[in-house]
Amino acid sequence: MELINRWKSGDSRAATQLVGRHSQALARFAASAGERDGIEELVQDTFIRAFNSLDSFRGESSLRTWLFTIERRLMLDRRRAERRSRETVPVQDSDQVSEYGALDGLIAEEAQERVRKSLDALSPTQREVFTLRVQQGLSYKEIAEVVGSTEGATRVHYHNAIQKVKEFLRDE
Amino acid sequence: MNKCIDTEIQELLPDLLHGSLDGQSRGRAEAHLAGCESCQEDLEVLRTVRGAAVFAPTIDANSIVRQIPPYRMIVPAVEQPKRTRMVSWLVAAGLAVAAIGGGSLVMSNQRSGLVTASSQTASVLASAAVQTPAIALATNLDDLSDGNLVQLMDEMDTFDALPAAEPEPVLAVDSGDSL
Repeated sequence: MELINRWKSGDSRAATQLVGRHSQALARFAASAGERDGIEELVQDTFIRAFNSLDSFRGESSLRTWLFTIERRLMLDRRRAERRSRETVPVQDSDQVSEYGALDGLIAEEAQERVRKSLDALSPTQREVFTLRVQQGLSYKEIAEVVGSTEGATRVHYHNAIQKVKEFLRDE
Repeated sequence: MNKCIDTEIQELLPDLLHGSLDGQSRGRAEAHLAGCESCQEDLEVLRTVRGAAVFAPTIDANSIVRQIPPYRMIVPAVEQPKRTRMVSWLVAAGLAVAAIGGGSLVMSNQRSGLVTASSQTASVLASAAVQTPAIALATNLDDLSDGNLVQLMDEMDTFDALPAAEPEPVLAVDSGDSL
């Protein structure tokens, strides 16, 4: 809240700190949730929307949880728009490797590919819950806020997800 | 390998992975892990998944910050005073009276066809328009202020919906065909 108050009082460096602190987590969440293209644009839109409505942030949840909630809504909007325009083109594995390789100079390792495939085998909600829990370290309560569900339901999704991922990795 | 049935510990494993457990919970989880192969495997899976989350692109925070507009405090919009229920009823009643009066005038005109009635109607309307400029100017009663509406209601009592002229007497004509 301190950084938010500083930004409200005109300190632009506070915005830089806020974005720097949360942008990678948002990018990882988007990638884990199945987003392949335009992740940077998605993260940017998330921050613009968040900064435009900071007055509605009460601090009842953490800022990161709130940002995840906004980003998730944007992802759902995107998917709906894509579905409507019927222009969804399945992304090939090789495309992803080349795209991210070009962006970050990263080489997709075998373990990463296996994990990505195991996450792809989950339902969208299971994947969201599982990645928010395992990769972002959010509590069940925070995850419930992000995905608009109950704490109990997120626990069930987590248990089902880890069983599926475990079986997938064991069978590979 | 037996499947672990301690769901509480299983749910704590991600927190153990992130180092966010307090001392007591951490000790409990580690003690359980020492003797539970199933949870050891779960923790290994969690480590693998967490470690593999590297395929997100690097975000340029500065380019995002440049797109963020400066802070503007949201000032709540000042609410216009709402028209009261009583005034709404007055508007409705006024519209009904005007419609009935106007309809009566038209019908009266059509039936009598008298020039005198027409001129009288015109004079009534003209006088009403002069007396209540609100009627003459406002095409929509919603545009009238509350004060104008009250004035309109008061003045409606003085309107003559029908011409004041007496109907002409009907004279019986003896055609000589009577029985």
